[in-house]
Amino acid sequence: MKKFWKVLFKILGKTLLVALIAFVATFALYMFNGENKLIYYVIRPFLNKHYDSQVRDRKI
Amino acid sequence: MKITDKLIASIDKKLQRFDPIWRAENGLGGQRDRYYDKTGVAKYREWRGVKDTFYDYTQWLKNLGSMALMVGSAPIPCLKGFWEYRWMGSYLGTFMFIDRLFEGYRGYELRVAHKNMHAIVQSLTKKIALVLANDKRLGGGPLSDVMVPMDEVLPPLFMAGFKELIPIPLQTLPEFIICDVDQHIEPYYIDVAEAYGLPADVCSRCAAETGVAIDDAFPIFGKAFLTTNMPCNASEATSMFQRRRLGLPDQPVTMAMIHNEPGAHPYSTQELKDAIDFIEKEYGVKYDWDALFARAKHMNEQNTIELEKWDYFKTPYSALVGIAETLYRLYSWASVNGQEDYFTKTDRKVIKIMRKAYEERYQPFGGKTRHRAFLWGPSAVYYTDFPTWVQNCWGINIVLNMDSTMGHNMISTDDPEQAIKDLALFSEKGVMRHHAVGGWDNVNAVWEWAKNFNCDMVLFNDNIACKGMLGVHAVMEEQARDLGFHFIFIEHDLEDCRTVSRQAMRNCVNNYMSVVLNEKPLDPTIVEFDDSEAY
Amino acid sequence: MKDLKHLIYFENLLQEAQNELVTKAVEDGKRALGYNCYYIPETLLNLPGCFSSRLRAPRCTSTDVASYYMTNRTCPYVRSILERAIEGGYSYLDALFGAENCAAMERMEEHFFLLDLVKKDSFFVTQIDPPMKGNKTNLDYYKAQLKLKVVDELEKRFGVDVSEEAMRAAIADHNEISRVITEIGEYRKLDNPPITGYEFHVIQLVSQVCPHYLILPYLQETLEEIKTREPEEKFPYRARVALVGSEIDDPDFTKLIESCGAMVVADRYCFGSFPSREQIEILPGETAFDAICRHYLHWNQCARFMDGMKIDQRPSEVKRLVDEFKADGVIYENMKFCEFWSYEKVLASHIFVNELHIPTCTIEKEYALGAVGQLRTRFQAFIESLEIKNIQGGK
Repeated sequence: MKKFWKVLFKILGKTLLVALIAFVATFALYMFNGENKLIYYVIRPFLNKHYDSQVRDRKI
Repeated sequence: MKITDKLIASIDKKLQRFDPIWRAENGLGGQRDRYYDKTGVAKYREWRGVKDTFYDYTQWLKNLGSMALMVGSAPIPCLKGFWEYRWMGSYLGTFMFIDRLFEGYRGYELRVAHKNMHAIVQSLTKKIALVLANDKRLGGGPLSDVMVPMDEVLPPLFMAGFKELIPIPLQTLPEFIICDVDQHIEPYYIDVAEAYGLPADVCSRCAAETGVAIDDAFPIFGKAFLTTNMPCNASEATSMFQRRRLGLPDQPVTMAMIHNEPGAHPYSTQELKDAIDFIEKEYGVKYDWDALFARAKHMNEQNTIELEKWDYFKTPYSALVGIAETLYRLYSWASVNGQEDYFTKTDRKVIKIMRKAYEERYQPFGGKTRHRAFLWGPSAVYYTDFPTWVQNCWGINIVLNMDSTMGHNMISTDDPEQAIKDLALFSEKGVMRHHAVGGWDNVNAVWEWAKNFNCDMVLFNDNIACKGMLGVHAVMEEQARDLGFHFIFIEHDLEDCRTVSRQAMRNCVNNYMSVVLNEKPLDPTIVEFDDSEAY
Repeated sequence: MKDLKHLIYFENLLQEAQNELVTKAVEDGKRALGYNCYYIPETLLNLPGCFSSRLRAPRCTSTDVASYYMTNRTCPYVRSILERAIEGGYSYLDALFGAENCAAMERMEEHFFLLDLVKKDSFFVTQIDPPMKGNKTNLDYYKAQLKLKVVDELEKRFGVDVSEEAMRAAIADHNEISRVITEIGEYRKLDNPPITGYEFHVIQLVSQVCPHYLILPYLQETLEEIKTREPEEKFPYRARVALVGSEIDDPDFTKLIESCGAMVVADRYCFGSFPSREQIEILPGETAFDAICRHYLHWNQCARFMDGMKIDQRPSEVKRLVDEFKADGVIYENMKFCEFWSYEKVLASHIFVNELHIPTCTIEKEYALGAVGQLRTRFQAFIESLEIKNIQGGK
């Protein structure tokens, strides 16, 4: 029984730890606007370069 | 006071120096401090106090989840879509867009705004995944031929009677919504159209649609296409290019332009019947009135709630304000039009919060509103957060927007003949059209609306290419003078931020507020700033 | 060629909206009914006791006051009409029959009642909601609108006879003036026509702005004169063009093209004879009113029509005119700030050049011919290219 509680606490502890880490990571990402900086400075310039090099079938 | 509340209050006190509203009040800065110049990229997100920041964070997570779901539900088509379509890349700006919209929002107004916004995000992400997964250009899918491309300005509710079919507003994804998100996307398509000889003085929305058609950037699906004359001249004209490019059998659903006369409705009714016949023929399906009635019930409930919302808008205690109201009504009416349960549920939740806020006599924006304004005329799509700015900078609360007055008549849910008549009336009062076209009385109705909603100010969107609204320029100004309203023309070019920049739009207000009314801004950091490179 | 006997008289009639024939008709007790657009059937405005007056703003050089009302970003034709109305130039009118055919036109017509521009107690303005397709639903709507806002109004307000006989008489009037104009216009098909495009433009315009019963004798006499008129020894132009577009009511524009070396052999624009001078036929079992509505909906070439049949009708009608009048090319005009013709011009120039292989020059113009230097250069270059093509045997 004691062992059961120990395992349970361990799992709960780990879950809490993972949740905490996830919270800290996502909250930091959120608070420091990380995803928008990545999109604005890295992803979009890369995509725009690709779009600019596309040959499109332009016609009326 | 509970211990947690005490703790939160103490943290709020300690961190309030990061709150841009507090900073503006105390002369230490304001909203613009957080931004890198020009880009619209914030160094860090807005600190709104513990509760509101945490709430905003959870909503960010929720929206992130919707996007993950979109990619997860159709990973390959989504990746292909990002690679194929320039406009898809712009959707990456969605988070920045949401942040911009709700700057300065706190408490109930923030909660209501996010509920509305999430409804849009979850709907739009599903729609994007659906379209891309069935886009014949990207390989097609099982639903490619049961989807019906429709002009985005044609209210799709009547299509609910085709329960096997999925109506998709064709231009919404590559043109309309995305211009809200990214001010720099449509100028590319406008340039494409102008390269083929289209003059620069036509409505930029339709020029952009034409550019998307010429650039072969519409997703390909469906067996037949429903176009429309709505809302106005340029959209009628751009349809010619779209029908050529799509190469599908098409039916222009040409609703009465002068729609405020009884003689118009039988014609519009017949037009809808003709459209139903056309779809039955092209798709080989039968119209099911019960299927229509089921969705009409949702639309009726949404409109009933909308009318109750209007009662709160008339007071200073409405938790639903500014862009949170405008954008939601626009999307939920024009794009969803009663077809998604989620919106009915959202409306139910929102109205509950609004009732509570009213009972508590809760004033949004900390009660700092100085003027109540009615926003008239089609708004600049590239400056969706203009209502937010105008509140944060000058304390002008946009109480209601012209497009929010769209079709709010109830639709019969048991009599097909009455239902189609109701739908005709409902559809005639569509987006950018209910008051912008169809005769003087429609546009002149602004004063009555403004009076009913206890507004002291009318902000008149002055789309420099909208011939219908330009045609009433002076008489509107003269009317405002006679009736004693503060009246500001907000010059803009609808989807082309190069002609009239966001700052030029802001200057229209700045000049009036500082020169005519001699008022001081609530937040001096956002009177003049450069956001020319922002999405 | 010898000058046409009445040409100077006709030119003078075009100098004012209220010309001497309009004044004469008003003095005769006729009701002057103004309109701006082909969507309002001229025939219905020529019911007994009435006469039609298509609104122009000749010699309008400044639209300052109209621009105050409608900004300088709206159609210059519309602003010129408004300016002229504010100046009191249409005070002879008893009614204005408008249409929400385009937003600018509709707003301009609204100013007639908003600013009380015609100081007659009985003056009124109505605006129809014009159809956008050529099918039965839209024909029915067109009929309903014309009945409600033109026929019934005329009967109710002025006691105009709108009976079947009166309608038939109006059709007879239309058909007679159209026969004369068409017959004159047909001469442009000849290799060396005894009439210039400018002269025809003047003749066509007077038929639209003057009371029919007063102008018809002059037109009939002009037709007889043209029948025996000696053309120049040799065709004096380097090319033949069809002029296509919107509100071209200034014959000097046609003169400008012809002075650059191309004869305007066909006039497919809003004030032109294509459409406007086709015969109205009453089909068996059809009422005269129904025939008028069907006729005008069928022949209407407005760029705002949205259905495939009408969209396709526009270039195919131009192609027919190019073939019948042996035009070497098309000059395609759109009025500045016109949404419909701006789009139509892009599409049409593509269809003409790439699909129908008709050389086409597209231009955008103001209402009043001001600085014509740029246009002249464009026309000269285009005409030169047509001439070279002709010399090279169409290659």
